[in-house]
Amino acid sequence: MVGRPLDETTLVVRAKHGDAAAYEELVRMHQAIAFRVALVAAGDRGDAEEAVQDGFVKAYRALGRFRDGAPFRPWLLRIVANEARNKRRASGRRSGLALRAAAAASGDAAPSPEAAALSHERRDELLAALAALDSRDRDVLVHRFLLDLGEDETAAALGVRRGTVKSRTSRALDRLRVVVGEERP
Amino acid sequence: MNGLEHELRALAPLVEWPETPDVVPGIAIPATAPPPRRRPSRSLGLVFAVVLLALAVALAVPPARTAILDWLGIGSARIVHVDELPPLRPTVSLELLGERTTLADARRRAGFPVAPPPRGEPLPDEVRVVGGRRVSYLWRDGDRIRLLITQVPGLLQRTAILGKLIPPSVKIERLMIDGDGAVFLTGGPHAVYLLGPSGSFEEDDGWLAGSTLLVDRGGTTLRIEGSLDRERAVELARAMT
Repeated sequence: MVGRPLDETTLVVRAKHGDAAAYEELVRMHQAIAFRVALVAAGDRGDAEEAVQDGFVKAYRALGRFRDGAPFRPWLLRIVANEARNKRRASGRRSGLALRAAAAASGDAAPSPEAAALSHERRDELLAALAALDSRDRDVLVHRFLLDLGEDETAAALGVRRGTVKSRTSRALDRLRVVVGEERP
Repeated sequence: MNGLEHELRALAPLVEWPETPDVVPGIAIPATAPPPRRRPSRSLGLVFAVVLLALAVALAVPPARTAILDWLGIGSARIVHVDELPPLRPTVSLELLGERTTLADARRRAGFPVAPPPRGEPLPDEVRVVGGRRVSYLWRDGDRIRLLITQVPGLLQRTAILGKLIPPSVKIERLMIDGDGAVFLTGGPHAVYLLGPSGSFEEDDGWLAGSTLLVDRGGTTLRIEGSLDRERAVELARAMT
């Protein structure tokens, strides 16, 4: 493909008609977020990588059933997250992902003023508090805030309804406040 | 949005995520693959149904009972992870590999594009064909088969479907060989099942041990089996273009 990058809807239509290059472009567009969602669900890098590969293959095979005009990313994340959860269950591993704060913001962009204002101690404290939460609470907060997914995308990735994401997020924030000592249990 | 939510959002770019792997090379979607269909055609749906039924029957019979954990498609092959393997017979059933013939006759009767034997290798000791379904090259070592290379037509073009039952101990490596999706299987025995054009389900025991390379050649699946390491199997596949 040359010239102006094609938008996602066009790529999906082309992929549905068997354009493998268009599907590869879709994979490249979404593999980073898909990998992180899989990592959260699988709790293991190798399984996450496999889940992403298998998820993209399954999504390709299911493209014929994908509704034209629907958002592609939540649909894809649902498939990938399902794959990752299946791999975690098959391995007998419990949910859990150790997150660390980098010394500097990821990417080339300068950190936002909010990020810069967050002290190293506070970063570590928040990540430790997230790790201490129940996996359902932690996962919804990681998806909503650390992965910056919308409610629909979080619902798709977690395999729950949007209303559940709302209520679970609210409860999880309350529990996180307790863990960081900002509110009494 | 309250302070804690602000802090979590501010934390997002500071989280150290593992580097995202480029998964494109591991996704075996040949450029010549037919477009995904909105609904499987009746005949294709029937083929799938027969395969699933056949697998279900095979897996329901002790000691072949097993749990299907996962599917991975490669060309006309379906790899099925299982937790237990059915018993294997120790030799390749030559009947399943078809009638012994010449290379020219096999290519004429195959009904699908057949790659020649690998360049730079001794010619196969035997060429066998099942018309419209399979062409096999065999290299013998006395009574044993040292190397077996089989070509079968793709899933969407023909009715022959290959299924592989893989126990968890078998290692599956996904490869790209000059643009073709491939998988390399090592680490233990596996069974092979074939669905004939008549809908009958046939067990193809293949090799008890050794390794298998499956290459999706866009409509044809190349299967290389023997006591091979990955490099040697890939070398053979490359010599068959």
